[in-house]
Amino acid sequence: MNNMEKSRGNLLLEFFSEEIPARMQLNSEIQLQNLLVKSLTQRDIAFESFKTFSGPRHLSIIIKNIELEQKDQEIEKRGPRFDANRKAIDGFLKSNQLKIDETIIKETNKGKFYFHSQMIKGQKTYEILPDIISEIVNSFVWPKSQRWANTDLKWARPLRNIVLLLNNDVVKGKVEIGKNVFLNFTNFTFSHRYSDKKIVINKIENYEQLLEENFVILDRNKRLDKIINDTSSLLDKGKLKLVNDKSLLEEVVGLVEYPNILIGSISKEFMKLPREVLSTAMRVHQKYFSITDKENNLESKFLFVANSIKEKDRDFRVIEGNERVLKARLSDASYFFENDITNTFQNWNEKLKKVTFYESLGSLHDKIIRMANISKIFAKDFGVQSELAKQAAILSKADLVSEMVMEFPELQGIMGGHYAKIKNEHEEVTKAIFEHYKPKGVSDDLPETKLGSLLSMVDKIDTLVGFFSIDKKPTGSKDPFALRRNSFSIVQILINFKINLSLNELLKPSLKEYCCSSKSIKRNIIDFMIDKLKFVLSNQNNRMDVVNSVLNTKIVNDIPIKIISSRIDSISKFNKNNDFKIFLANYKRINNILKSEKFPNKTEFPVDLKFFDTIEEENIYKLSNSFSKEIIKKGVCEKSQDILINYLIKMNEPISLFFDNVIVNHNDNNIRINRLNLLKNLHNSISKFSNFELIED
Amino acid sequence: MSVNNSFQKIITSLQSFWIDQGCVLLQPYDLEVGAGTFHPATVLRVLGPDPIWKAAYVQPCRRPTDGRYGENPNRLQHYYQFQVIMQPSPEDIQNLYLESLYFIGLNPKDHDIRFVEDDWESPTLGASGLGWEIWCDGMEISQFTYFQQVGGIEVKPVASEITYGLERLAMFIQKIENVYDLDWDGIEKNKGGKTYGDIFLQQEKEFSKYNFEKSDTSFLFKQFNDAETECKNLLDDKKNPIALPAYHQCIKASHIFNLLDARGVISVSERQSYILRVRNMARSSCLAWMGKLNE
Repeated sequence: MNNMEKSRGNLLLEFFSEEIPARMQLNSEIQLQNLLVKSLTQRDIAFESFKTFSGPRHLSIIIKNIELEQKDQEIEKRGPRFDANRKAIDGFLKSNQLKIDETIIKETNKGKFYFHSQMIKGQKTYEILPDIISEIVNSFVWPKSQRWANTDLKWARPLRNIVLLLNNDVVKGKVEIGKNVFLNFTNFTFSHRYSDKKIVINKIENYEQLLEENFVILDRNKRLDKIINDTSSLLDKGKLKLVNDKSLLEEVVGLVEYPNILIGSISKEFMKLPREVLSTAMRVHQKYFSITDKENNLESKFLFVANSIKEKDRDFRVIEGNERVLKARLSDASYFFENDITNTFQNWNEKLKKVTFYESLGSLHDKIIRMANISKIFAKDFGVQSELAKQAAILSKADLVSEMVMEFPELQGIMGGHYAKIKNEHEEVTKAIFEHYKPKGVSDDLPETKLGSLLSMVDKIDTLVGFFSIDKKPTGSKDPFALRRNSFSIVQILINFKINLSLNELLKPSLKEYCCSSKSIKRNIIDFMIDKLKFVLSNQNNRMDVVNSVLNTKIVNDIPIKIISSRIDSISKFNKNNDFKIFLANYKRINNILKSEKFPNKTEFPVDLKFFDTIEEENIYKLSNSFSKEIIKKGVCEKSQDILINYLIKMNEPISLFFDNVIVNHNDNNIRINRLNLLKNLHNSISKFSNFELIED
Repeated sequence: MSVNNSFQKIITSLQSFWIDQGCVLLQPYDLEVGAGTFHPATVLRVLGPDPIWKAAYVQPCRRPTDGRYGENPNRLQHYYQFQVIMQPSPEDIQNLYLESLYFIGLNPKDHDIRFVEDDWESPTLGASGLGWEIWCDGMEISQFTYFQQVGGIEVKPVASEITYGLERLAMFIQKIENVYDLDWDGIEKNKGGKTYGDIFLQQEKEFSKYNFEKSDTSFLFKQFNDAETECKNLLDDKKNPIALPAYHQCIKASHIFNLLDARGVISVSERQSYILRVRNMARSSCLAWMGKLNE
């Protein structure tokens, strides 16, 4: 035990810099950990555990029980080949000052070679550390970084100090950060900005505590907990609650070293502004949280997190200052709001003519006209009036040139909805405009209303088709126009509303609007959407293989989306049914026979009745024909998918009998081909329903 | 007794503070600019020739689209910045800044001071840097930038720029909610004291009208083209270009562009090309200043 204590110790590394942007901190913590662990492992220096910290200025890691000495390193040198000439072998021995009995012969994948292995004593960890730190500093990657003064090194913000302690002693050394510019390793860091004292760290185990005493909470989770606990105790007294805003909370954690929760008041005159305006003005510019009562009504209060120690006088001043700022912000917002409500949608739409949607895709005004045309076509499918669909589309983008949205782009749609309401537009229209940017991601809520869903979908189809038509489709990780998210949203709406439209039908009007007749563009869009359909459907607890089997049919472009869903449901339901399993086995058997044959690229293959010499052949012939008719008749009916599967199951017996009593590989080639074609036609008609080959056993 | 925090006192305090830090105290550049950065003392000087350059100055700034006819308590189309440029960026520059606040009567320890990420980019100057906006009790009172590039050229050594929004700062210190109520001179009203409104309200009204309604756009378009041509001519002789007058024309063009923008006569698609034209002027002037125009 004693030995272990001597051979191991703790390590502290801290990068102290000017305020690092909140959004980068958590990642930097992870990166620091990865880089250091990698460097230590590469050098065979073992350790027990680590803990990382990050905040505005302190980024640090403590490694527990790290070995104070590197493990001895075995270095192996390869000499000449075993069968090399004497001269080469002597040369190797001489240059390494070896005798022949100090070498060994080893087999490698390139043949037998002479080897010499040598143990090199492990270095002391403190001797290696400066190299490691320099390696970390130089390989650190920030999303955005800068130089400062005469440095060449780039860091998110100027790096001012590096603490490096091993076993509580400062490690001697430095890191070069520019030509003849160095940072020496130190044993001190700095306290909260408020006092900015130099803090000497004598013991690593006291590091966290010592800084907390100096009002820097290093652990971001502790800062988060403090914010949450202090908030709830402050609000409970007033029976209020905080509007949940996780991402704001995480940002605020990165803006403070010592959180101090304060609450300010909003002047009553502003409470008439739409709720979203209030919360956006508070959130975006000021990073304030909104507060509501238990019934979710917005309170005329706001909560914010100051970076300070509680002190009555100061807190009072800070609150007063923040209230003044908010008042100025909200009077700006009121000014925009008042101006906007005296403006008209016609006026805004006129302005949209001057705003380009995208180069060669026309103006935003062109976009709403296209959207209106498409909306009318699909109105019925969404169960809404076509006049309202058209009106919603026409008004949908006006708010983009309103003063409020120019100031707060995140209020797009929301302001349009409010303004349409004020202008006494139809309620369905106002709600549709309000929510037509939803869903904003795979996990966002869908629009609640039918008209909103239609408008959202049409907007997104127009964007998708537009960008594909000018060859701006996403490539690799690049998707600058968010087309992936866009088509996810389209697919989610289609599935959720059980829309009775096929991909072909969906894209046709939009392709027409863009005068795009290219088959390959259409093919690309359809493939793109099928890919998203696959993702969304398999995320709905469907088996991937079942989803694939239905989407991998040749005619999938013509199958309405709601049929695709219900077909997947039906197949999933039958998956455990024994008869269905027999059917699958039969289908795969047919598939295997056909696989080894070559067929011309046709949909229908000639079958001559005169070559039949068994009843089984006739039965299969009938089955194949009647299923072909059946799938045309019932394939597009949502409720008939089960019936069709039952139909398939009923084929089990005739197919089994066929295999029992009919030899496909007949000596007479005419008969052989006739039988193969018979099976091929059956296979083709079944495959219009689903490509069962893809279903796993 | 409010002499100590009058608008003009804040200016003179900042001046004497930064003089003590070794800055040369300059006067505003005598052209309309959108920000203190445009002053040649910043744009050109950070590119050399001396690697040490420290300057401080007040710069009146014009942002024509921010005009509100004197009706908005916080927005002006003409306002003042106090600009400090230090090259190379000093190690204790953040502390120097905080001390300067203390010096003008704003003790950082009595407030909640925050450095919030705000990267700066000027498309027309081809300039960019990383830094923060500085919040005092939630109010943005300054901008802080480590210059990385100007005119598309790497700034070496890196300079730090501090820009105080003087009206904002004074409103904060005087606890005033309407910019026009700012105490300018610390003299009582009945003794002839002046407020910000006494001095600038009429100007805001008239210039808002000019910016949004009255400016002659065909005249402005012509002026823009003329400035561009002049700039090119001045740099024509690649061996002996005259960089400062060329850059002077670039500043002119930039302001004319802002005026045209306020009239809404530059379409979205044209906008980019105008910005690019100003940037080209800025870049060539910077290269000329460095004697690298023909490289």
